[in-house]
Amino acid sequence: MNTDTILEVQDLKKTYQLGSVPVHALRGVTFQVNAGDFVSILGPSGSGKSTLLNMIGALDRPSEGDLSIRGTGISTLNDNELADLRQRVGFVFQFFNLISRLDAVGNVELPLTIAGVPSKERRARAEKMLGKVGLGDRMHHKPSQLSGGERQRVAVARALVTDPSFLLMDEPTGNLDSVTASEIMDLVDRVNQEFGMTIIVVTHDPAVSNRARRKIRLVDGHIESDEVNHN
Amino acid sequence: MKSRDTLGYSFSAIRLRKLRSGLTTLGIVIGIAAIVALLSFTQGFQVTMTTQFQEGFATDTLVVSAGGMFDRFSGEEPSDFALYVNDTAAVMEIDGVDLATPIISGMGSLDSEDSHLDLSVSGVNYTEYSTLYGTTFVAEQGEIPAVPANDSVVIGSSVYDPWGNGTIFADIGDELVLTITIRDNGATHENNITVTVVGILGEIGGTSFGGGPSDSGVYITLGTAVDLFESEEVSSVVVQLVSDDEATIDQVTLDIEALFDNEASVLSSTSVLEMMDTMLGTIELLLAGIAGISLLVAGIGIMNIMIVSLMERTREIGILKALGAKGRTVLGIFLSEALLIGLIGGVIGIVAGSLLANVFSGIFGGFAGGMGGVGAGAGSQLTSMFTTITPVLTPELMFWAIFYGVVVSVVFGLYPAYRASKLDPVDALRKE
Ligand SMILES: Nc1ncnc2c1ncn2[C@@H]1O[C@H](COP(=O)(O)OP(=O)(O)OP(=O)(O)O)[C@@H](O)[C@H]1O
Ligand SMILES: [Mg+2]
Repeated sequence: MNTDTILEVQDLKKTYQLGSVPVHALRGVTFQVNAGDFVSILGPSGSGKSTLLNMIGALDRPSEGDLSIRGTGISTLNDNELADLRQRVGFVFQFFNLISRLDAVGNVELPLTIAGVPSKERRARAEKMLGKVGLGDRMHHKPSQLSGGERQRVAVARALVTDPSFLLMDEPTGNLDSVTASEIMDLVDRVNQEFGMTIIVVTHDPAVSNRARRKIRLVDGHIESDEVNHN
Repeated sequence: MKSRDTLGYSFSAIRLRKLRSGLTTLGIVIGIAAIVALLSFTQGFQVTMTTQFQEGFATDTLVVSAGGMFDRFSGEEPSDFALYVNDTAAVMEIDGVDLATPIISGMGSLDSEDSHLDLSVSGVNYTEYSTLYGTTFVAEQGEIPAVPANDSVVIGSSVYDPWGNGTIFADIGDELVLTITIRDNGATHENNITVTVVGILGEIGGTSFGGGPSDSGVYITLGTAVDLFESEEVSSVVVQLVSDDEATIDQVTLDIEALFDNEASVLSSTSVLEMMDTMLGTIELLLAGIAGISLLVAGIGIMNIMIVSLMERTREIGILKALGAKGRTVLGIFLSEALLIGLIGGVIGIVAGSLLANVFSGIFGGFAGGMGGVGAGAGSQLTSMFTTITPVLTPELMFWAIFYGVVVSVVFGLYPAYRASKLDPVDALRKE
């Protein structure tokens, strides 16, 4: 294994049981991601993209095969160990998933609060991160007082504040107009280039996937293609 | 997650749903308030009863009567056993007895020139009675004559001033007509005597347990009482012991019981206090049980609300888990919401409960005060008893009140919190 390999996916399968009918969401997926890479995962609806990303984010366990993050395989971990692993993964969702009663700083602080970081330190880190995503003047706005793009920036800040192994995004621009979407992706580009953050983004949007250096195309739970982006 | 942060996070969730949290807390408030009000009131009642009782019934006296004051409630067949004036002599012979004095009492009425009072009349030996009740059977005006004339009468302070407004019913030297109605096999006739007020007692307060003097009492001589009531039957014999140690009390009690073939009832202040404690203890338990049921209902309310809130907050739980929260963190968040509700409800409940207890004693006092008018002997005793009830709110009671509030809400919060902690993050996040 390459020392730069941050994620290793080995013949990963996920089967859901819908009553007596098995649903094969992933039918054996193998690939690796190196530190600092920018990968997009594309594919038609229902092809298993979110299922794959959830497992990379340690939200779910594989039915077969394994997936290791910095050398730690997830299939044998118990719930608590899985939760610990999640503290080192940054996740950004299509629907922002902010806590509506907390303000921007409170939301960005939340993963640090959960990790038990002392309040002064986490406040400082959260404020710094909000500054970096360009929301230094929106610290105390509630999600309902922010635009969609601003909300997604808060979500990005929240994902990055723990200094994670990689940033996972599931349709991060799916709820944004094209201008706001490209602003968010500019931010993601910067995070990738300036901090060397590894990025894996699931998207339908060519404008998003075209920014990635590598495209993995999933079809029906298989990798159909895995290629370097030339443009 | 640090417990301080868990509490802070839970508190923000409670604050968000003010109305709902308020209503949930209200259940606990009512339960705790009921417990606190009832128990602090009964404890205050007990303290009042005990002190007033101890004032009126010295520990070194026994009261012998034909049927005990508590036997009346036992529903046993009343026997035709009775005590008579000359039984006193036999009691005096018993070792450990210093003095024994008979009391004849019954209902009667007193008429002055322009007023009429119905009250309880007692025939006592003035000298012996004032020896026994040296602090209460004391004349504030006039005197208690050592060698009284047959028409002497000593009256309590509320007979002297029945309306409590300075309008005096009878003063020293006034002549009053004392009337006793005798019932004899269906026929009735009245015995009258004109009596002269020789002494007026100072205010005693409290109740006259065990034959002690009372504010509404009217005291004539034994001989006059025998004539008026046409009987030597006494209602009780009060016995002064040489000492108030338990051995003496027990021995004399047994001896007197033996003397009357176990037909007389012998009460000591200790035995009556014990009986009262047991009775009040039972009442307290019953009241606490009723209040406990309201807490149970409150607990079910909490569980219901938390399950609803769990469903609404599924997505939030998913987010927390996606951000690395363990099952026990989520459990902690939900349990501390229950804990906070229990704590807040407990504190408010204690405040509300003690206010309520004070309102109770006010109502009882006012009610009894309204009754305690002209010649209502029992009424005026009640007045003095209830107006002096101060609800007792001990630190122990406060501690247990909060403790139960918290335990009930946490116990009922346990199941919803457990379900929240077990939610699968992917499922929770998929929830619309
Ligand atoms: N909990 C589940 N139970 C049963 N089937 C499921 C479950 N979760 C996902 N699936 C199925 O697995 C397949 C893959 O789902 P997934 O959400 O990964 O698709 P996707 O590629 O993200 O699609 P989209 O682009 O629409 O988000 C789908 O056919 C879906 O119906
Ligand atoms: Mg998806």
